[in-house]
Amino acid sequence: MGRVLTMVLSDLKQRVRDFSVLVFAVLVPLALMFVMNLVLSGVADEGLQPITVAVSVPDGDELAAVVPHVLGEASLGELRVTVRDADPEEVRGFVDDGTAGLGVVVPADFTAALTSGTGPEVEIIRGDDSGIAGSVVTAIVDGTLAQLTAGTRAAVAAQGLGVPPEQLGALAQAVATEAPQVTWTEGRTASEQLGMGESIVAGQSGMFLLFTVGFGVLALVTERGQGTLGRLLSMPMKPELIVLAKGIVSFVLGILATTVLLVAGATFFEDVDFGSPVAVAALVVLVVAATTSIMFVIAKVARTAEQAGIAQAIVAVSLGMSGGAFFPVANTGWVGQLLSVNPVKAFTNGLGITAGGGGVGDLGPTALTMAVFTVACLALARVLPERKDVL
Amino acid sequence: MPTTVGTEAQNADARGGSATGSVEPVLVAEGLVRSFGSLRAVDGVSLRILPGETFGLLGPNGAGKTTVISMIAGLLQPDEGTVTVAGVPMGRSSVEAKGHIGLVPQDLAIYPELSARDNLQFFGKLQGMHGRPLRDRVAEVLDLVGLGDRAKEQSKKFSGGMKRRLNIGIGLLHQPDLLILDEPTVGVDPQSRNAILESVEALSGEGMAVLYTTHYMEEAERLCDRILILDSGQAQAEGTRDELIELTGDADRVHLSGSGDLAAAEGAVAGIPAVASVHRDPHALDLTVRGAPTAIALIVNAATGAGMKLSNVEIRRPDLESVFLHLTGKALRD
Ligand SMILES: Nc1ncnc2c1ncn2[C@@H]1O[C@H](COP(=O)(O)OP(=O)(O)O)[C@@H](O)[C@H]1O
Ligand SMILES: [Mg+2]
Repeated sequence: MGRVLTMVLSDLKQRVRDFSVLVFAVLVPLALMFVMNLVLSGVADEGLQPITVAVSVPDGDELAAVVPHVLGEASLGELRVTVRDADPEEVRGFVDDGTAGLGVVVPADFTAALTSGTGPEVEIIRGDDSGIAGSVVTAIVDGTLAQLTAGTRAAVAAQGLGVPPEQLGALAQAVATEAPQVTWTEGRTASEQLGMGESIVAGQSGMFLLFTVGFGVLALVTERGQGTLGRLLSMPMKPELIVLAKGIVSFVLGILATTVLLVAGATFFEDVDFGSPVAVAALVVLVVAATTSIMFVIAKVARTAEQAGIAQAIVAVSLGMSGGAFFPVANTGWVGQLLSVNPVKAFTNGLGITAGGGGVGDLGPTALTMAVFTVACLALARVLPERKDVL
Repeated sequence: MPTTVGTEAQNADARGGSATGSVEPVLVAEGLVRSFGSLRAVDGVSLRILPGETFGLLGPNGAGKTTVISMIAGLLQPDEGTVTVAGVPMGRSSVEAKGHIGLVPQDLAIYPELSARDNLQFFGKLQGMHGRPLRDRVAEVLDLVGLGDRAKEQSKKFSGGMKRRLNIGIGLLHQPDLLILDEPTVGVDPQSRNAILESVEALSGEGMAVLYTTHYMEEAERLCDRILILDSGQAQAEGTRDELIELTGDADRVHLSGSGDLAAAEGAVAGIPAVASVHRDPHALDLTVRGAPTAIALIVNAATGAGMKLSNVEIRRPDLESVFLHLTGKALRD
C-alpha cells in the first residue's frame, strides 16, 4: 500500500503543478455557471434595456444559422433581443448609427473552419451604449460558439477514430439543433425536480467531471508515451498497483472538483439547494466511480495521449450535453442509444430526487444505474486486448 | 531489497572462487523468443552475466536489443524461454526478481514536472527505500551524475545530457545487482557521452553487474568484458573482444575508396588468396585481409588494374566492426 500511496501523491502533485486540472475541473465550469446564471436570472439592479442585434450569416450554412436562432430565442426574463438580418458589409453601419446595439458577423468559411478544427473567427461589434444587455448577448454568442466548437471538434475527432459518417451526422445534428436551447429555455430541463440554477450547477459539474477524472487514469497513456510507464513496470511491485494508483488519483480529483463545484454553486447562486448532504455525497461518490471507470476503457484503447484526449472529449461532450442536463435530446440514433445508460444523466436525476427532499433510500434505481455502468466499464476494460504489452 | 552487502559478498566469492566456476550468475536468460505479429524480433537468445561483469549487447538498430532487455526486466513476457535474476525467476509480476535490477530505458523515463531530486525520491520509494537512507543515497546519486547543484530544478528545464544522466541515476539508485542500460549515449553530446562512459566504468569497478546495449562498437570495446553480437533477433557470436576478433581469423581491414569500375575491382581483389572477404559500397571496397601489410601492394595493383581510381587506402587492425562484417556480411554502422 505504501507504493500505491507514493504514486498517488506524486501524481496529485504533478497534476496540481501543471494547472490544467484546476482550470478544467474548477475554473471553466465555475465561469460557465456564472455566465449562464447571469443570463438566466437577469440583472436585478440595473435592469436590461431591449437590444437589437444585427447578424450576418453566410447563406445556407446550417451551423452558422444556429447563432441567429439562439439569439431569436434569447428573450427571457427581462432580456428582450431583436434579431435583424444583415449583409456582412452592413453590420458595422447598423451599429455605428445606433440601429443595432450589437453586430455579429459569421464568416463565410464558418462550417469549414469548425470542421477542420482551426476555429472560425466570428466578429462581434459592440455599440457604445449596448450596456449590460450587450454583455449578456455577447456571452450567449460566446457560449454558443464554445458549444459548437466542442461539439464539432468531437465530431471531427470521431472521424479519426473510425466512427461512421452517419453517426457523425447525428452528433453534429444534436449539437446544431439542441445546443441553442442550451441554457435559456426555462422549464425544459431533463430532471423536472431541479430548478434552472440547480440544473446548471449539476450539469456543468457532471460534464466537467469527465474531464477531471481523465487527468488521473489517462496519465497512463501519457506515461506510456513518456517512457515512465516502462520504468514503473520494472519496479518491484505488482503491475496492477500502477493501475490502481491512477484510478485513485482520478477518484480523488473527481470527488474534490465535484464537491467544490456543488458547494460553490449552492453558495453563490440563489435558490440552489440539493438537499440531504449525505445523499448528495453518495451520488457524488457513485458518479465519480462511474466516470472514472470510463477512463479505464479509454486508457486501454488509446494509443497516444492525443487519441485519449479526443476520445475523452467525445465522451464528455456527448454524455454531458445529451445527458439532459443542458437541454433535452431525443433518444434516437447512436447518441440516444449510447446515452440510455448515462451516469451524468443519472447524477442529475439523482440530484433532482435529493433536491426534492429525497434521502439515500430514495436513490435506488439511480444508484443502481451508476453501479451497473461502473461494473460494465471495468469489465470491458479488463477484457479489451492489451496494447503493446504495456498494461 | 537488494543489499550491497550481498553483492559484495558475491563479488568476494567471484574473485576467490572463479576458477571453480561456482559463482552464481546475476542473470541467466535461456532461449528467449519474442514475436510481434509475423516478425520474430528475438529468436532464441541466451546469455549469462556474472557478478561484477559488464556485458555488451551489440547490434544495429532493429536487431532486437530493446526487446531482449524488456524481457529480462520483466516488462515483456517472452513467447519462449526463461529469465532468472539472482536465482529468482523473472516475469511481469515478479516482485522479488525486479528488486534485483535497475533499468535505464532507452527513451528518457523521467517526470518532466518533477525536480531531479523528486524523481529520484519517487523511484527510490517504489524501490522500497525510505527515510534517511533514501535521502542520503539520493544526494549521493545527484553528485554522482553531476546534478548536485540543480537538484531542485524541474527536469523539463534540463539539457538533453542532464536528462540522460538523471535517467541513469534513477536506475542505479538502489544499487541493484544488475544495472541494465539501453543505448544510454544515443543523441548525447560528446562531453556527456564521455561522462556516461566513465561512470559506467566506475560502476563496474564497484562490482555492479552491467548489461549494456549499444550499436557503437567503440563503446562495447571500451566497456565490456564480454559481448554478444545480435543481428535480426539472433545471437551471431558471443565472447570477449579478443575471442570475437579471432573469429575473423585475425584478419586486418583494408578500406579502398575511389571511383571507376568498382565491380571489376571487387572481382579482382577477391581472387587474391590473402583476401578473406570483400564488401562493396558505391565509392569504396571494404576487405578483410590476412597479413595486410604484405598483401597491400598486390591488392592495390589488382584494384587499379581492374579500372578503379583510388583516392585513399587505409589499413586497420581488426575490430568489432570487422567481426560484424565477417559474421553478417553487413556494416554495423547506420
Ligand atoms: N511493440 C512492438 N510492436 C511491433 N514491433 C516491434 C515492437 N517492438 C519492437 N518491434 C520490432 O522488433 C524489432 C526489434 O526492435 P528493438 O528490440 O527495439 O530493436 P533495437 O533495440 O535493437 O533497435 C524491430 O524490427 C522493431 O520494429
Ligand atoms: Mg533499442
